[in-house]
Parts: sequence; structure tokens; C-alpha cells
Amino acid sequence: MIQERAQAAVAVRAGAPPPPVLVCAGLTKSFGGRPAADGISLAVAAGEVYGLLGPNGAGKTTTIRMVCGLLEPDAGSVTIQGRPVGADRSVKALIGYVPQEIALYPDLTGRENLMFLGRLYRLHGPLLAQRVAAALDVTDLAERCDERVDSYSGGMKRRLNIAAGLVNQPALLVLDEPTVGVDPQSRHSILERVKAFAAAGMSVLYTTHYMEEAERVCDRVGIIDRGRLIAEGTRRELVSRLGERDRIDLVVSGDAGRLAAACREVPGVDEAAAADGRVHLVTADGRRVLPAVLEKAEAAGVPVGSVEIAEADLEAVFLHLTGTALRE
Amino acid sequence: MPPALVVAGKDLRQRLRDRSAIVIGVVAPLVIAAVMSLAFKGAEQFHFSLGVVDADHGPVAAGMIRSLQSPGVRSVLDVRAEPSAAAASAAIRSRRIQAALVIPAGLSASVGGARPVSPTVLTSVNNALAGSVTESIVGSFVAQLNADRLSVATALAAGAPPGAAARLQAEAARLTIPEQLVDRPLGARPIRVISYYSPAMAIFFVLFLISYTSRSFFVDRSQGMVERMRAAPIRPLDILVGKALSVFVFGLVSLVVVAGLTTVLFGAYWGSPLAVGAVCVAMTISIVCLTGLVIALARTQRQAEGIAGALVFALALLGGNFVFVSASPDIMRTLSLFTPNGWAMRAFTDLSTGGGGLGTAALPVAAILGFSAVVAVIAGLLGRRAVTA
Repeated sequence: MIQERAQAAVAVRAGAPPPPVLVCAGLTKSFGGRPAADGISLAVAAGEVYGLLGPNGAGKTTTIRMVCGLLEPDAGSVTIQGRPVGADRSVKALIGYVPQEIALYPDLTGRENLMFLGRLYRLHGPLLAQRVAAALDVTDLAERCDERVDSYSGGMKRRLNIAAGLVNQPALLVLDEPTVGVDPQSRHSILERVKAFAAAGMSVLYTTHYMEEAERVCDRVGIIDRGRLIAEGTRRELVSRLGERDRIDLVVSGDAGRLAAACREVPGVDEAAAADGRVHLVTADGRRVLPAVLEKAEAAGVPVGSVEIAEADLEAVFLHLTGTALRE
Repeated sequence: MPPALVVAGKDLRQRLRDRSAIVIGVVAPLVIAAVMSLAFKGAEQFHFSLGVVDADHGPVAAGMIRSLQSPGVRSVLDVRAEPSAAAASAAIRSRRIQAALVIPAGLSASVGGARPVSPTVLTSVNNALAGSVTESIVGSFVAQLNADRLSVATALAAGAPPGAAARLQAEAARLTIPEQLVDRPLGARPIRVISYYSPAMAIFFVLFLISYTSRSFFVDRSQGMVERMRAAPIRPLDILVGKALSVFVFGLVSLVVVAGLTTVLFGAYWGSPLAVGAVCVAMTISIVCLTGLVIALARTQRQAEGIAGALVFALALLGGNFVFVSASPDIMRTLSLFTPNGWAMRAFTDLSTGGGGLGTAALPVAAILGFSAVVAVIAGLLGRRAVTA
């Protein structure tokens, strides 16, 4: 199974479309007449990290609660590996759920928490011990797993919260804003682990209202606002769809005009201009064209003192689509 | 392992790790039962000193004093002679005696005479019961006296010669009114305070499980643990059943341990083990159902604490966990029948006085289970949203 997932992950990175693990079709849910999710449809492939990006109250948590079978949709359906979530409880065994809260028992040890949750997934004996050990290992908590959770730091609790979602080795890991309230070091650690899970073939549905996180870990992003999925795609697709382009600013010590002219010949560079010892370039993908630009500078004998790339980001996309900033 | 057992095992592990649970479940009932037993020690054996002022010095007065010293009442009172009514009053005020009987001069002579003479009982507000007991005994003697007077008067009216009055009076005195009331306790043992307060305190502290468990449920829910459990392939009912099981096991073990320890340490007698076990099981089931009701009624942890606290103290007060139900007013005795602990205390009282086994416990157990069934239905109707909310 792990091998299959790894192959699927390779397929994602190679651009081939593997079969989706999660398919949401027209998910709709209202509370007191107010729509919290309005016809949300999305699919997540094996080995893919799909980010649901949106401000607080946009409908992210409602969506993932329906995905996990915790909330019954008013309309629409959820399938995991082709099996509908709902009447058949066993489908839930394919899902690892990491809620936004630190949902752990503080008076139990880390290991006891994981053993308890593992047993709810009908794991027992050596297999349970092995799964718990693996989850502790992957979250770097093995050394302190026999200490009570209330003695853990905030970052450790967050990692254990994620480990608890891994005990059943799910096909789909659902992470609901897993980095809220953690320090930068722990956030970095969590994001690296999420990428590693996907590399190992696990599908990840990741909600966040941090644009940087979505850009960093997600293969694809769905932008959700007021319960509706208003855009979806890779970061590059979303940015280019809106006509947003990157800007490269080169500070040079030689003839800036000559370098600008040379850069116009680089495929992907849309505009090039020189002014005040600087060269300004406009391109669809700054990171991709930069090596060719630097080669041109060297060939033209124009030393480059510094390079600054201003990429079009999801913040700009969100602002464009909704008329509001992401953190509002 | 079934998910409900997994949840129950986890809850019990947490509870045993919490020292306050052990204190409330075992230590506190032992300590409070011992303290209550000491505090109410006098209540199980009533005895007082009665002062008697004999101004009559006749045969009737002697008979009255003998009746007060008869073996039947010797365990209740002891008689002390007082020289005068004033001296007896002073003795009552100084609490040397608790009541006094003043036998007036001419009482014996009045039996055959036309004008009756009445004895007087001096009582104190500090010990009304002593006065009541004295009035009761003396009243019984006076009733006998009046019967003698009536029989002599009847004989004379029927034509007996007046000179035979003294002989008739002596004949009548030999006859006694049959006893009107025979006091026969149901059980073979007298009730002992420790045997009452051991189950009373055990039940009182087990009632706190309602508060503890309902609070922990809402803590679990607010921390996302209930939702995390629901994300696993289990039924919401498994979570509730698991929690109910943990309450049942902890409550039952607590009652059994307290029963064992109070028997060994304080010599309490709970009654037939089988019947005691049946009452404990029924009582614990009712606590499980009451916990479910609190969870169903409350929406937040704070509400759960408030409802559970009020419920526990109301049950304890009405059910007789603090005071003997038998010493309570009629209304309280009636209200206690609407509480499971009231029925349990009734069962334990009957059992501890040796009133039988399972047969004695059958009605209380049925009443407790009936109460539990009603509570469970209400909790079920109200509480569907508790886990899924």
C-alpha cells in the first residue's frame, strides 16, 4: 500500500493525473439559513497536498468536518478511494483527522494518547505498538513519549496532535490549521513533515489562512470565501489566470541598458528596461528565467550586484477575487 | 476490544490517576462516616434520668414508682428521688435530671374517693423527648388507675356493700389492662449509627461521580476529544456507553470498597452481601442515568457543574444521607421515596438491622431501577445532540 502511494506521489510530481483519493461533489451545508459551505467540489490525488485557503469563517472547517464524516452535508457527497463517507463507518479508517485544537488528554502520556486513539481504529497488539512507534518517530516525539502531555511544550503538543492523526496510517490526512499559535521553528518543522507525508504517498487536505504556508506546502490550492470555492489550481495557475506577473530587479555596476537589451532575448521575459544602474524585468515566472538572465549578464560583461524577485502571490490573487485581504 | 470498552478503560485510567477521585470515592466516605457516627452516637441509645417527688407515700405512688423502675423501661430511664417539686425543677435546670414526676399527696386515697388527684410531669425544652416518654409511662399507669376506680364504682353501683370498697379496690388493682402496643422491631439488630452513615456517606460521595463525569465530558468536547473520537470508525453511542461503563465500574467499586473497609475498620454491618450488592448495583445504575441526564440538559461545562451540584445536594438532603430518614418529618419521608438514594438508604437500614436478604432489598431495588429507567428515557430524548453537537 505504501509502495502504491509512493508511486502515486511520483506520478503527481511527474504531472500525470493519478486517481483521486478524495472527491467532494457539491458539498452544501447551512446553519440557521446561513450557508457555511455552498456547493464545494474538489478532488485530491494520492500524494498531493491540497490547500484550502481562506479567512476565518470562510467555510474551511465546515468542509473538512463533512469530509471526515463529522457533519452531514445538506447536499453533495464525499468519497474516499471511491467509497462514500457516511453510512459505512469503516471508510473513516482511511482518514486521519488533525483538528485545530490540541485534542489530546493532558493527563495521559503521549504514548497513551496514541494507543487510545489507535484502539478506536481497531488496532491492537504488535501492530498497534508499531503504528504508535512510527507516528512518534515521524514527529520526533519518541524520546518523551512516556511523559504526560501537560509537560510538553506547545510545539510538541502540536506535533503529537499530528501524530494522533497518523496512527491509523490514513490514505487521506486532514489537517485543520495545524500551525495556529506555534512558534516559527515548530511551524517550519510541521510544514516539512507535511511535505514528507505527501512524498511518502499520503494525500493531504490542509486548511490554513496563512498564504505563505499554502504557497510553501500545497501542490494545489482552493480559495474559499463565504462558503464557496472561488478558484482552484497551482499557485502559478492561479497567479497567471489573473494576469499577475513576477518582477525581477537587478542592481548592476556596468551598462544596464546593454543588459536590458540582452534580457529581452531570454524566453519568458516579457519586458526589460534599464534606469539608474538597475535593470527591471517583467516575467511570468521569475525563478525560472533567473538563471538565463544571469548567464546573459555574464556574457554581456555586466556585473550584477544584487537580485530581487517580487513574485505575484496568493495574497494578491485572493484580494483580486474577493476584494478583501486574506487576514481580514 | 469494543470501542466502548476502550473509552471506559481510558476514562478509568484517568480517574485512578487523579488522586482527588480516590479521596472522594473512598477516603472521604470513610472519614465522614466515622465523624458522623461519633457525632450521632447518642442517637442510637436513648436514656435519661427522671426525678420523682413522692408527696403521697401511699400504695398507688409506690406502684407508680415501681412501674417506672420495671425491667421494660430500665434501659430508657433511671429514677432519682427528689424531695420537692422546687428541688426537682432546680435539678432539671442544672441538667442533673431531664424530667421529673411530682406525685401529689392524696393520690392513693383518691382512688376510692369522688375527687381525682392528678400527678404532674415537669419537662424541659432541652429534652422534650424525656418528658414525652415520662408522660407516656405515667399516662399508662393513670389509665390503669382510672380503670380500677371505674371497676370499684361499678361494683358499688351494682349493689356491693360500701364496706367492701377496700376489698374491691385491692381486687381491681390485681387486674391489669392488657398491653395495647407491643414494640417488636423488624430486624434482629438494633440500628447502629455507623451502620447507617457508612452507606449514607458512600452513596453521597458516589453521587459526586455525576458532577465529575459530566464535567469531564464537556471538557473533552471543548478540547475537541469527542470530535476526534467521532472521526474514528466508531458510533457516537460507543462514546456514551464507554463513559457510562466507567462511571458504573468506578461507582460500584467505590461502594464495595467503602462497605468492606467500614465493616473491617468500624464494625459497621451493611447486611446480607448479596442484597447489599444488588442495592449497590441498582444505585450505581441510577448514577449512570443521572449523569446522562445532566449531560443531556447542560450545554456547557459550567452548566453541567451547576446542574450536577444542585442535583447531588438535593438528592442527598431528600434521600436521608445526612439525617436519619426515620427522624425526619412525614413530608421528607415521602419525598425520599422519589430519590434512588432514599430507596437505597431504606434498603440498607432494613438490611443492617437484620431484616432479611434479597427479599428485603427487592422493592427498593425495583424502585431504584424504575427511577433509573425514567431518567434514562428523558436523557435519551433530550441528549441526542450531546455527542453529535
